[in-house]
Amino acid sequence: MLRSLLEAFLNLFRPIRTHRYPAEEIVLPSGYRGLIEYGIDACIFCDKCEKVCPPGAILFYQNEDGTKTYRYNPWLCIYCGECVRACPKPEEALWQSETKQLSALKEDGANEGWFVWEAACKQSREAYATVKKSAKIQNKSEE
Amino acid sequence: MKKTIQIPLGSQHISLLEPIRFKFECENEKIIGVDADVGFVHRGVELACTRSFEFKQVGYVVARVCGLCAITHSLSYTLAVEKLLGYVANDRIKYLRMLMVELDRIHSHMLCLAHTAENAGFEALFMQIMGDRELIMDVQEAISGNRVQFDYISIGGVNRDLTPELVALTHKNLGLLSEKIDALIGLFDNNWSLSLKYKGVGVLSLEEAYTYNALGPLARAAGLATDVRAETSDFPYEALGYTMILESTGDIHARNFVRLREIVNSIAMCRNIIENLPIGEIQEKAKGKPNGEAVVRVEAPRGELFYLVRGSGQNMLDRVRIKTPTFSAIPAMMEVFKGAEYADAPAILASFDPCMSCTAK
Repeated sequence: MLRSLLEAFLNLFRPIRTHRYPAEEIVLPSGYRGLIEYGIDACIFCDKCEKVCPPGAILFYQNEDGTKTYRYNPWLCIYCGECVRACPKPEEALWQSETKQLSALKEDGANEGWFVWEAACKQSREAYATVKKSAKIQNKSEE
Repeated sequence: MKKTIQIPLGSQHISLLEPIRFKFECENEKIIGVDADVGFVHRGVELACTRSFEFKQVGYVVARVCGLCAITHSLSYTLAVEKLLGYVANDRIKYLRMLMVELDRIHSHMLCLAHTAENAGFEALFMQIMGDRELIMDVQEAISGNRVQFDYISIGGVNRDLTPELVALTHKNLGLLSEKIDALIGLFDNNWSLSLKYKGVGVLSLEEAYTYNALGPLARAAGLATDVRAETSDFPYEALGYTMILESTGDIHARNFVRLREIVNSIAMCRNIIENLPIGEIQEKAKGKPNGEAVVRVEAPRGELFYLVRGSGQNMLDRVRIKTPTFSAIPAMMEVFKGAEYADAPAILASFDPCMSCTAK
């Protein structure tokens, strides 16, 4: 009992335990799992990252000329790094940085915008598949 | 005339971390009947595991069942799937997984101790223990890269390796923590005002623990020798200095002491693990698709965690069943309340370390 009182009194002169957060920055440990970053030049568009992603935060839009566009939702991402481990060219095409994503604003359209994009991606693939199919049939008939 | 009154506790109450509702039937200040409702945070995780996610992704889904024992959930699921794939992890992977589970146990027990202190009216002790808990959280964050959702364990291994800097940090923080735990043991044992709130309050006898199937620290405080770590051979616990901690009185004080002494034991085990870490790969290929049924038991901080996984050679699983420790301990919990004072109810509840988001999932 007396020891607790003594401890309580001594605590007046000890340094504080908490961080003075906005004034004093909190240091993240190295290797912190942050945003997934993408290098378009090295990407071979194998879609492996899209397939393994647990929440489905990476999507590829199928363009009509056969190329694909990468799109990533940092607010849906759970930062598990599964996509980086699946990538055949990690560090060049896809890597995990140590930067933190800020909270989404309304303009970012973290939900609604992403739903639109998801639907567009699905549609683009279906459309591309039908175009390819019809082209194949045409080729055959020409032969 | 009716002689008893009904007093509800929850579903939202100042002493609760998570929503649970108790309906106490009270005679004056004494509780004579209890009714519990736990399903407030149901999220449909089990169904999502079989409908929306492939088996390789489910490990990350079940980790989100619980914030405190995230690593135990993903470990249990991974072990179950690895059993179905016929894959046996090497020693390094086993040791690294054990290290994370034991660190998780330390910080979960500290949270429970802090919360018990707060609910018994010792806010300053709560702050102190939560401050000390940061030492372990820092280690976990440095090892796994995230503070709460570790996402450390995946099918076929672990995602990150221990570097020499991490080993040094772990040694340093475990050393600091072990001094603080020694001081806490002295405080919980000798402080007179703490003993008023804890000693002889919320007693679960050995016989009741047997009858109502108590588990984890709740059972070990009553003297019931049950611990999955001693009963299964998935991990080499015996070789790393595991001892079963038993108390006999079964009150809140005994539960606190089981937790404190388990923390000491876990610290010793963590030190053994990082000193004797075998050499090997941290990620191996586990090929195939799960076919058949596997049952896995793992000792979570609160007791036995049970996983059943059934697959039929497809990417989607047929069934994932999760039985969490708090769910199994509800009958024993309700028994402890009977005969206690109503004013002690929050402290007794906190001493069970209930995890509602696990239970309702």
